[in-house]
Amino acid sequence: MNMIVCCKQVLDPEAAPSTFKLDAANNRMVQPPEIKPVVNPYDEQAVEAALRIKDKDKAANKITIISLGNNLARDVVKKPLSMGADELILLEDPAFEGGDSFAVASALAAAIKKVGQFDLIFCGRQESEWDDGQVGSGLAELLGIPSVTIAKKAEVMDGGKVKVERIVADGYQVLEVSTPALITVSNELGEARYATLKGIMAASKKQPVVWKPADIGMDAGKVGAAARKSKIVKLFQPVKEGKCDIVSADSPAEAASLLAQKLRENKVI
Amino acid sequence: MDFDLTEEQNLTRQAVRDFAENEIAPIAHELDEKEEFSADLTRRMAELGLLGCFVPEKYGGSNMGYISYIIAVEELARIDGSQAATIAAGNSLGIGPIYYFGSEKQKKEWLPRLCAGEILAGFGLTEPEAGSDAGSSKTRAERKGHNWIINGSKIFITNSACSMTGVVVVQAVTGAQADGKPEISCIIVPANASGFTAKAMKGKMMWRASNTGELFFDNCTVPAGNLLGKQGDGFHQMLSTLDGGRLSIAAMGLGGAQGAFDVALEYANKRIQFGRPISSFQVNAFKLADMAIEIELARNLLYKACWLREKGRTFTKEAAMAKLYCSEVMHRCVHHAVQLHGGYGLMKDFRVERLYRDQRLLEIGEGTSEIQRIVIARHIGVAGRAI
Repeated sequence: MNMIVCCKQVLDPEAAPSTFKLDAANNRMVQPPEIKPVVNPYDEQAVEAALRIKDKDKAANKITIISLGNNLARDVVKKPLSMGADELILLEDPAFEGGDSFAVASALAAAIKKVGQFDLIFCGRQESEWDDGQVGSGLAELLGIPSVTIAKKAEVMDGGKVKVERIVADGYQVLEVSTPALITVSNELGEARYATLKGIMAASKKQPVVWKPADIGMDAGKVGAAARKSKIVKLFQPVKEGKCDIVSADSPAEAASLLAQKLRENKVI
Repeated sequence: MDFDLTEEQNLTRQAVRDFAENEIAPIAHELDEKEEFSADLTRRMAELGLLGCFVPEKYGGSNMGYISYIIAVEELARIDGSQAATIAAGNSLGIGPIYYFGSEKQKKEWLPRLCAGEILAGFGLTEPEAGSDAGSSKTRAERKGHNWIINGSKIFITNSACSMTGVVVVQAVTGAQADGKPEISCIIVPANASGFTAKAMKGKMMWRASNTGELFFDNCTVPAGNLLGKQGDGFHQMLSTLDGGRLSIAAMGLGGAQGAFDVALEYANKRIQFGRPISSFQVNAFKLADMAIEIELARNLLYKACWLREKGRTFTKEAAMAKLYCSEVMHRCVHHAVQLHGGYGLMKDFRVERLYRDQRLLEIGEGTSEIQRIVIARHIGVAGRAI
């Protein structure tokens, strides 16, 4: 089975909130120099989902990682290789910067078409910077293949169909999907495995394939920010204000009445 | 000059840090309290590839190079001295002598199982009456027919008396040299050898979740082929093993100092007194600045010593300097870190309390700070043979 996993390099969501900075003029988040970026945690779980399939038969299953961005840190984007993935393709160019979900999905779709043969594509359910959760479904749509979102388990069945357990509000659905298909993976899958030292050594010997827009048949002027379908009007950090008025009165009934009055004044009720 | 770590060194740091923070940190306190060695955790560290870091893949190692190994120990020690000790001793003292001095047969027999974490090896050097004066070992091995017969005892031997202990390498007197000095050799003793018993030592102040054993050899019999390297090479093998061991003890000092700094900074930024975070008081900010400076210096010194080793150059002086400096930097860092925590720093609920205790060994184990100064003095042109 040929599997592709889309992995994004993101700002470390575990970093202290005090390190978070915005470039308000350009409606962008800024990578703080002292904090290392990471692979989006949901994407690591997508890698884990693919690895669990590969574990069953290492020779018959292949995992290709695709990451999109600019100035990608090699020791970050190579992490999936050190976990056990086989190949890494980087869509890396300044032109890819500033894209929205549509722009990213379009570039990924073009790259996957160039890869050609694939049976399963895994994505994280969403990435931790914008939390849009649209790239997976969008990519499936652009490729014209079925997708199952928010999976907690994916197993290849005899005959080649894939059984997917999909999280819903009060439990999970069990679905079967024919390949090629796209699956977005949720944290309920369980912890992604650690990179092993042997895996790191193996990964260090592999060089990523780097594709520019032209390599995937795209015009550099029509990718990234230029391909956006959505526009950010204003990006700002809300000021956290905590105000607390204590309503005090001689009797509970009086206090309740005063409270109701205050709520009405503030248009809560 | 290139101060950048390689891609794989950075990946190693991140992988070990993730493991230490997620898997070790949550249970370190309990294991320390119960003075319990965890075979399960040790096996999982082996699965990660932490045993056999510098051993080629054909023997089951991960062949990472020395700097990556040292970074791994540093990251473990940042969270927990005990687990760092298990790995540092497992590699430098357990696997190291067999890998560097063993015959091909001995390597094939022991290394794959040691690297896979099926078993651990101890290095039996210290004796009740032979500590810093390692040459005064009383344990003797006599050649009788096709066997070595070993008698004596060893003490404070890491990884030597737990459920995973599979083998110990023992230093013993095997005769006398021409000048009358004892001839010292190292012998491989399987844990199940007849006449060999190992007893776990309890009641430790530090590294309480690492295994420390006392070894007894009572007409312990092993085949003649268990001699490590050549007869009479034991003293040289021990010195060389300790050079490597010192780098890993230094890594424990560096990692522990970093851990102390990290918890101290976090606490001092959060703790409000007189209406301000206590880190904003100059007296405390200076403590943190001093810690950061010394950690930076310690890291540069240690990595340089490892770099010399990787290049195949002499590193004995630098290893002694790094071991001494890193362990003493951690001493100062845990001191400041407890001070910054105030009363809470004295409580076992706070990691800094364990770091404070775990530090204390580093100025004693694998050559005391005093012995390191002697080693350094001998390398810098001090007149006569410094002692």
